[in-house]
Amino acid sequence: MPPIRDKFTIHSKAVVCQDVDLKGDITIGPGSVIHPKATIFALGGPIVIGSGCIIEEAAVIVNRHKEVMRIGDNNLFEIGCRVESPSIGNNNTISTRARVHHTVRISNYCVIGVGCLVVPTQDETLDEYTSVYGPAAEKRIWSGRGKVQEADLRNKHGEYLREMLPKFNRLRRGDGA
Amino acid sequence: MWPRIQYYCPCMSGSNLQTPPPPTLTSSSASFHPLHNLYFCEECDAVRCNRCVSVEVSGYYCPNCLFEVPSASVRAEKNRCARNCFSCPICRSTLSVVASDPPDDGDGRPSASLGNVGEAPYFLYCGHCRWDSAEVNITFEKPTGLAAQLQKFEDSAPESLEFERLKEHFEPFLRTSSLTSSSHLPAMSSHHLHPSSATAAASAALARDIPGVGKYNPLARSRAGRDRTANKDEMPEYKSRVETAVFSQLGGGGDDADVDLLRHMETVEEVAKLEQRWGNSWTTPPRSSDLRPHRIPLHSKVSKRCPACRHILIKPEQKAQSVRYKIKLVAANYLPAITVGFPQTGATKRMAGKVPSSGTDAKSGIMHAGTSNPFQLALTNPLYDPIQVRLSPQRVADGRSYQVSLPTSPFSVAAFAEAWEYDDDEDMFGVEDDELGIGTDTGRSVRDKAPRGRLKNVGILERKANVTVVGGEVNIKPGFKGNVKFNMMVSYTYRSDDPLPSEDGVGTPSRTTKVPEVKTFSFYTAVDLGSSMVSNDDKPADV
Repeated sequence: MPPIRDKFTIHSKAVVCQDVDLKGDITIGPGSVIHPKATIFALGGPIVIGSGCIIEEAAVIVNRHKEVMRIGDNNLFEIGCRVESPSIGNNNTISTRARVHHTVRISNYCVIGVGCLVVPTQDETLDEYTSVYGPAAEKRIWSGRGKVQEADLRNKHGEYLREMLPKFNRLRRGDGA
Repeated sequence: MWPRIQYYCPCMSGSNLQTPPPPTLTSSSASFHPLHNLYFCEECDAVRCNRCVSVEVSGYYCPNCLFEVPSASVRAEKNRCARNCFSCPICRSTLSVVASDPPDDGDGRPSASLGNVGEAPYFLYCGHCRWDSAEVNITFEKPTGLAAQLQKFEDSAPESLEFERLKEHFEPFLRTSSLTSSSHLPAMSSHHLHPSSATAAASAALARDIPGVGKYNPLARSRAGRDRTANKDEMPEYKSRVETAVFSQLGGGGDDADVDLLRHMETVEEVAKLEQRWGNSWTTPPRSSDLRPHRIPLHSKVSKRCPACRHILIKPEQKAQSVRYKIKLVAANYLPAITVGFPQTGATKRMAGKVPSSGTDAKSGIMHAGTSNPFQLALTNPLYDPIQVRLSPQRVADGRSYQVSLPTSPFSVAAFAEAWEYDDDEDMFGVEDDELGIGTDTGRSVRDKAPRGRLKNVGILERKANVTVVGGEVNIKPGFKGNVKFNMMVSYTYRSDDPLPSEDGVGTPSRTTKVPEVKTFSFYTAVDLGSSMVSNDDKPADV
């Protein structure tokens, strides 16, 4: 395996704290917020994070595949979650201490509940509005009612963090800047 | 979970302080309890367990909103919260009331900041599994008083209506029979020593004749028979509102429809699970997508009384928010707490135990058959006075199994002091020694208090604050399989400042009188050391 070349492309509107662990080829889109102590490892192929994503403390995002791992817009990765999913759509929530294996692709509006293990042995794509919950990681389809309010809340969450985090943390700039 | 120790409550045996059943019997487990489950009656000077205390409900409350429900309305509200508390039919977490989204303006993005605008149809929403009540067509115009709004659905259910009609039908009979059964009451409760109002009401309810239901009561048979015939004359025949056959179809549409449903089922999740269904009062649809939210069941706070003297052993504070107790006579405040362990804890020693070159014969953690295995008992004194403890293990009936040796002479456990909770001072141990004259063990034990001194296994090993650790040995005969369990009587002598020796209460021995009264209390425990390991079997039994 060739040595990993670090190449960070961070949009000027993104807020990436100094104390994050980045490795490999990583692109972070506008308005995304990455808290300190988050870990993003592009070990195999690059990781591309869209706009408006929030990645909280101790979240781990790893790409071991050769292909690009694409993370869409407005996703929330809560504290201590671990995601190796090769593709993630928009408006998803990965809750605290949930784990998503590399066999799962996540579409849009999915919720992985607190502490859920999503580790199927076969490749699988979560349908839109799938909600995974409970100790047995059961799945059901969310009706989508209230998604506008949730998107609005996500928006405000991001806005607040973009304002407050730079006041107390040093920020990291991309290679280009 | 081995090793462990449990305390004996003598309520299962006839007279007080009989010897407990041998712990090897499976039936004995009902008489032994962990210390934290036990109470202590000061008046009777006896241990009480949850099995023998009498329980009284002192209040009902909703576990979600902590509203204290007056007991008068509990029955009317059918034991469930009548405010805004609902549990999710899918995952049973608490539902919250949310407003609907504003009408979409096309691109799915909110045009401006929404603020706190709530649009009219409100619905219940589960933050855990994202179920919402709009899926079963439950929406609300106002976000308040939801239970009352849902009540309409509940009351209009045919089962509910039928039940109400039945209640109405039987109401006059219940009233008349409760009058007649009050004459039964003294006879029924005569064997109760102290019937309280609550138990009297309960026994009256039990003794009551249920019209149309034959009651087995050999003493009052003739009487009941007469009552029944009398009732039969009065009771008009009950006509069901709907045919009984209709009820079977209420849930899922009858047998055929259910079979049809199951035939077209694709995943297991489509069927409602038992735990999702059995909290419901009426028949529930078999499909999980048809389940409706429940109102949250109420909880109750109970106080417990001593069965012999009717004194309250434990009584919580009335407020639902409070977790304190007004009265709390728990056994942990009276009896020394004993914990069992094996010397040299930790996985490293367990691993070392497998290697024969570990030096000492203390093969720790797991016991081996055919050798003598050391174990330790740590006694913690909860009293404000030092106590003298004597341990006497009961002889194991089966001579082929194992033998237990423990120090037989009494030893002291120092008094409890709050300060020891915070610092473990080295020079605090042994302060209260020899206060009541103890055996020769003590002097030696203080010296080899250090955990290194492993010359002997039986005796006092360590003394620190109000904890004394004594060592024992169990000699397991070769070839013995099964759990090593034995009963142990613990007698402790304490100084009581109670002036009357007849009042054999422990009291709170904080005040000191001139002539200290010495008293002894004995209780039984069952020590379970876990299973022994047959040699060459390196599978640990207790992990």
